[in-house]
Amino acid sequence: MATTTEHVSLSTENPKSLPWYLIDLPKYLKGFALLTVIYVSLRLYQGAFAIAHGLDSTEPAFEQYWMRLFYIELVIIAAVASGFWGYLWLSRDRQLDQLEPKEEIRRYFTLTMWISIYTFAVYWAGSYFAEQDNSWHQVAIRDTPFTANHIIEFYFNFPLYVILGGCAWLYARTRLPLYAKGISLPLTLAVFGPFMILVSVGFNEWGHTFWFREEFFAAPIHWGFVIGVWFALGVGGILLQGVTRLIELLDKIEDAE
Amino acid sequence: MSAQIPISTFKPYQGEKARLARAYDYLILVLALFLFIGSFHLHFALTVGDWDFWVDWKDRQWWPLVTPLIGITFPAAVQAVLWDKFRLPFGATLCVTALLLGTWVTRVFAYHYWNFFPINMVLPATMVPGALVLDALLMLTNSLTITSIFGGAAFALLFYPSNWPIFGMFHQPIEVANSQLTIADLFGFQYIRTGMPEYLRIIERGTLRTYGQYATPLSAFCSALLCSLMYPLWWHIGKWFASTRYLTKI
Repeated sequence: MATTTEHVSLSTENPKSLPWYLIDLPKYLKGFALLTVIYVSLRLYQGAFAIAHGLDSTEPAFEQYWMRLFYIELVIIAAVASGFWGYLWLSRDRQLDQLEPKEEIRRYFTLTMWISIYTFAVYWAGSYFAEQDNSWHQVAIRDTPFTANHIIEFYFNFPLYVILGGCAWLYARTRLPLYAKGISLPLTLAVFGPFMILVSVGFNEWGHTFWFREEFFAAPIHWGFVIGVWFALGVGGILLQGVTRLIELLDKIEDAE
Repeated sequence: MSAQIPISTFKPYQGEKARLARAYDYLILVLALFLFIGSFHLHFALTVGDWDFWVDWKDRQWWPLVTPLIGITFPAAVQAVLWDKFRLPFGATLCVTALLLGTWVTRVFAYHYWNFFPINMVLPATMVPGALVLDALLMLTNSLTITSIFGGAAFALLFYPSNWPIFGMFHQPIEVANSQLTIADLFGFQYIRTGMPEYLRIIERGTLRTYGQYATPLSAFCSALLCSLMYPLWWHIGKWFASTRYLTKI
């Protein structure tokens, strides 16, 4: 009999009785909610203070409202990176050879949640705030690399998705046998390629020192970002690796029963 | 070492296995949605960019050439995985719809509500009709060659007619200060863009234009040729990125 939607209705409606493979679902949803609050708050901050205090970087108010935000971001980014990466490394599984198939399946679900949170951060950095850069630079004279949108996009959003991508990579490397035995090429591409977008900020800003006033978005000085984001297509390979292993593990469980 | 899906296990799942597989599908769906909005939008904004942002850049010569040419890239790469490995015939439509969602959210909240550009000035173009044809052709023919030639061409040729109902009204001629402009031009002059001086606007280039109204179909057919070449190139790029190899060192 063919499996239909009716036959496979999820038992996640009651959060108290989550199935064993979705134990981390509440954390995943909280992660989404937290990131949404952060990004929306940053956008509201821009709406409140960018026109009033973000148009001239030589004004004292710019230092107060924008550069102070920049310094706070740096501290947060450093704390989040060391906290998450440190935790994932220090709590690594040292007995991966004894991992039960059910636990491995659960970890594949958690890895997928990590990657999903990573792509959510890529959305805000690569879609919303990236194009908003063009909008802002059409109304402000960019007299600094630390404009009201750059402070959020380049120095918070970019490092944050790099950290979350690093978390996904570290989670796989420290908790899943196949990723511990070998280095997954697509996962590495999908994490380190977009990391190069952060590095491309240097090339971009160097280019803008020549034409500081212009914002032609399709200009070649922006293409470093473009090449970096192509590597996100590696997620297709991660999906194939995950599905392949899940099929094997499910068969193993079925055979054991 | 690389992963191989065992063909012998291809039978419908039931019970907990089916529920687990469906839960995984939903997780992947959410992941893919934000992945393609974020990555395709960044790629698109930094290559097509101003031709899609501004109504006065949507000309007859560059816009119908550049937009489909860049717009067919991610759809081809994603089809290479979704169709080839999962027999899901919606790779192109997924990418293009994700892009449209991302651009609409940005145009409304970043351009209109933050910096007060009229929404008519920053409407995004659509590639949905072309993407539907691209997906349908791949599904019906299961052929990279036929989809490249006919699907790639259709993706480019459908672009201008499917956008004409949205943008045609902005091409109406008007006379302002003894000069003939389009309404789109007037938007550009009225709403000052400090980063976009007039000398940057790449539209309707040429010193002795004799082709007049033929510029649009010529651009569209040039784009059709280039899309037919771009499609297989990006199909293979998509396949390469979707490698399932594990390395011993990096």
